[in-house]
Order: sequence, then C-alpha cells, then structure tokens
Amino acid sequence: MIEVDRLSKRFGSGDDAVDAVKSVSFKVDQGEIFGLLGANGAGKSTTVLMLTTLLAPTSGDARIAGYSLSSDGAGIRRSVGAALQDTGLDPMQKGGGLLELHARLFGFDRKAAIHRRDELLDLVGLRDAADRRIGEYSGGMRRRLDLAAALVNRPRVLFLDEPTTGLDPASRRAIWDEVGVLRESGVTVLLTTQYLEEADQLADRVAIMADGEIVSTGTPAELKAGLGADVIELAFDEEGVAEEAVSVIGPPANRLGQVVRIPAADGPAELARVVGLLKEAGIESSSLSLSQPTLDDVFLNIVESRGEGVGR
Amino acid sequence: MNANPVGGDSAPRKEGVAFGLQVWLLTGRFLGNAIRQPAVILPNLGISIFFLIVYYGSFGDSPAIVQLTGGNYLNFVLPVTVLFASISGGAAGLTLVEDLESGYFRRQLSMPLSRTAMVLSAMLLGAIQVTFEAILIIALGLVLGADPAAGALGLLALLFFSLLWGLGFAGYSVATGLLTGNARAAQSATFIFFPLLFLAPVFLPFDQLAPWIQAIARVNPTTYMLEGMRSLMIDGWELWPLAKALIAGAAFALVTLIWAVRVAIRKTSRA
Repeated sequence: MIEVDRLSKRFGSGDDAVDAVKSVSFKVDQGEIFGLLGANGAGKSTTVLMLTTLLAPTSGDARIAGYSLSSDGAGIRRSVGAALQDTGLDPMQKGGGLLELHARLFGFDRKAAIHRRDELLDLVGLRDAADRRIGEYSGGMRRRLDLAAALVNRPRVLFLDEPTTGLDPASRRAIWDEVGVLRESGVTVLLTTQYLEEADQLADRVAIMADGEIVSTGTPAELKAGLGADVIELAFDEEGVAEEAVSVIGPPANRLGQVVRIPAADGPAELARVVGLLKEAGIESSSLSLSQPTLDDVFLNIVESRGEGVGR
Repeated sequence: MNANPVGGDSAPRKEGVAFGLQVWLLTGRFLGNAIRQPAVILPNLGISIFFLIVYYGSFGDSPAIVQLTGGNYLNFVLPVTVLFASISGGAAGLTLVEDLESGYFRRQLSMPLSRTAMVLSAMLLGAIQVTFEAILIIALGLVLGADPAAGALGLLALLFFSLLWGLGFAGYSVATGLLTGNARAAQSATFIFFPLLFLAPVFLPFDQLAPWIQAIARVNPTTYMLEGMRSLMIDGWELWPLAKALIAGAAFALVTLIWAVRVAIRKTSRA
C-alpha cells in the first residue's frame, strides 16, 4: 500500500545544504500500522510531508495507494488522509461544520456529507461539541477533530505525524483507542512518534530513523529481541555519577537522566560483571533491577551507537 | 467509537470536485468567518464615510469646484470614496495569513483542491466585502443628494466596477499575504493603495491636474476605473470611459490573480 523508494530531501544548496532525508526506502502492507520512530530532527516529519505531497522530494519516488508520488500527486491527495504534527483546523469554524465542509470538498453530496460528519463525530467522541467553535476546543479535542478530518474521504492510507505530542495521558489514550478502531477497519497507517511506548503499543512494525536515515526496521518484538533477553537498570543520585558509570561499564550501557540501562543476553551474569566494575571504580547506585528490554532500549542503543544525543 | 472510518454507504467522488464547486464552498467558508467578525470592516468603512462627508462638506458648496466637477460635487466624489473602500480587499490577504498560521492552509493543500480555487475564493471574499461597503457608501451618497446620470442601472454598474476593483486589490493582498506569511507585513503592503489613488484625478478632473501628476495618472489603472465610475454618475452611459474602466478593472484583477496563484504554487512546492 506504501512503497517508498530511495526518497531524499535536501534543503538549501552548497555548503549550507542539509540532507533531512537520505535515500529512505521501506514498504508498508495493506492494513498494517507502521511506526516511524526517531528523535526531533531525525527526518520523520519531512518524510511524511513528502508522502502526503506537501513537500516535493529532491529525489526518489513512492507509490501510495497505487499512485505514483512523482506523477500523480492528485491521486494520492484523493486517497490518503493526513493528521500532521500541528493540527490544521480553522478556529473560527464549528467542529461539525468543518467536517461537513471537508466532506463536500471531497465530493460527497449534501446529504451524504451530513451523514459522514455525524459518523466521524461519533468516531472521535465529539458529537456533543459539534456546534462549538474549534477555537474553544481543548488540545485533545483538536487532535481528535484533526484525526476525524483526516478520515473524511474514507482514506485507504492514513498518515499520523506525532498524533499525541503534547497531549495529557487521557487524551493520548483516546487517540490510541481511535487508532485501534482504524486497525480493525483495515486502514493502512503510517505513524510517526517520539514516544517509544506509543510505537510499542500501536505499530505492527517499526522503523527507527536517525539523521535522515532508517537505521533499523522490524516488529517491536524483533527489535527488542535483537538487544538480548534482559535489561539491567541502575539508578544514581546524580547525572554526573550516572555518566561516570556509563564510561566505566562501556557499551552497550546508555544513560537517560540519572538512570543507566544495559541490554544483556545473560542478565544475571552481566549484572555480576557490572556490579564488580562499579565497586572497583568506587561508584554506588541507589537502586538496581533486572527487566525485559523495551523499545526505549532499542532506540537508546541505536542512538548511543551512532554517537547522537536524544535531547532529553 | 462504533462508526466505520473507511467503509459505509456514502462515498466521495473519485474524480474530485469541480473547480466551480470548490470556489463556491471555499468562498462560503471565508464569508461565514467574515460575518462572524463584522468589526473587521468597520474601520475602513468608517474612513470611507468620513472622507465622503468631509470632502462633500469642504468642497460641495464651492461654486468654482462644483462647476469644474460637473454640477454636483457629490456625484464627482462618490466614486472616490467607493474606491477608498477597496482597501477592504486587503482582508482577503489577512484571512489567508490566518489560515497559514493556523495550519489550515496546509490542511487544504493536502486535499484534492485546486490552488487557483483556494486563491480565487479568498479574492472573492475581498471583492464581496468591498462591494458590501460600496453599497452602504452609495446609499449614504444618495441620502446626501447624489444623483447618478445613468440611473439605478448605473448604480449597479458602479457596484460591478467596485467588485472588479476589489477583486484586483484582494489578489494583490493575497499575493503579499502568501509571500510574507505575516499579518502585519500583509497589512502594511496595502498602503500601496494610497499613492495609486492619490496619483489619479481624485479631487479634480484629469485636465486640471499638474502635468507631472497627469503623466503618472495616465499609466495608473485607478484613473480609468475612477473616470468610468464618474461617467456613470455625471454623464450617463458613455461607452468609451466604461470600456476603459472595464479593461482596467479586468486586467488588474487578472494580473493579481495570476500573481497570487504563482506565489501560491511557488510557496507550496507540493508533488
């Protein structure tokens, strides 16, 4: 349903040129939820902007819902839906009015547009707020309306660019529920997120992007398995001490604030080695635990191995 | 949470929506928003009415000026104040800047909509606002004693010219709004209107202007629009001034439409 072939985007020229996306290729099957995971500036949103025809690629191509990005942008616009990082809503409109207008603009007749408006308001739980101005909506309500607006044309492919960024946990959960409904409906979804938990929860497969490139692809389980069976987690009183511990332990240890996590194939054996190393260096941890790896560990391991910070 | 987001019995048209329907629906949204903010046009309407009253009060009783301007100064000055209302077309650019800032413009770009329809609908909003103001100004003029030589149909023609001129001015404002993406910059750009208006036979007939102003006025489209409108008020149905006004107004609107569409295409390099 989505086939991306060596897609690249360069901004600027000469010495000032920035390669935001570097020859990215991937495939998303029909009905699959595919997560693009990466830190800020990894190239996720630029990729989505190109695939939704909002940004012309520098090179490469893609086929989306059967249409070529290079030769049939209009076909793609008719077949896909997009809820981008910043919601694209007119604050002066009423929620219901906006959905009805969009339905008309996609070619529904007046009666069908009203029907579609009501379907979508029910889907995102905004029926009671249909007659309120969008400017009066909360952040979570706007996100849900934006998602509804992206679904007006019954898209075969849906792009969700960081759909829950900045939302409170309850609103995030509501969006996740709605994506769950989409999964059941067979919509193909490309989802970008900085939240590893979100990708773990929603995506069938995940591609990790760093510095404009896809550096790892697989199901969340595959990616986690690639790290080993266990993760050792050590907490320290200060970040400086945690940093010192990382340098004493060495790769693949990675730090997130005052916490150091170490993926390991044989957790108990590695734990004994780590404790020995820290004792030798005179470093004391405030807590210590052994657990299963998460997508956080995959992501941090990749970022650490590329020598990049995650900005947090 | 029980609706099917992709299935269902209603479906969009596969071939997309006709250009005319796009313009109709998008203009309707702009108009709906404008009606919710009537205060936006009030300052400009107030200034236009102020000019009408002040000019008429200052010169309307001067026998020399009345003689120079065809016998009724109100007939002479009314088209000027109608053209003053053209600055309201600037609201079109501001509306698009608001859409850029809210992200709604980008949302529309991701839909199967023509960029020409998006630009033209904003221009039509400006033109409709200008025409609405022109109706109020003309009504006030009639109350004060304006007496159009071309009669009621002439007033309709006057409104048509104000719509055409408003369309052109709105196109200019849309293009500058898209270029700058900034409400303040877009608003500042509308000040080009003042030299255009004042370097034309605003207060006196063309042959009474200083030679250097005449030279500029001759290439200023405002001159032809103003003289066409005035001919309706003072002379009746005179073909040549009306034809020149029509050509000037249509050319202005077409040039600014093409410019605005080109800017929209350049600023939105979509695939």
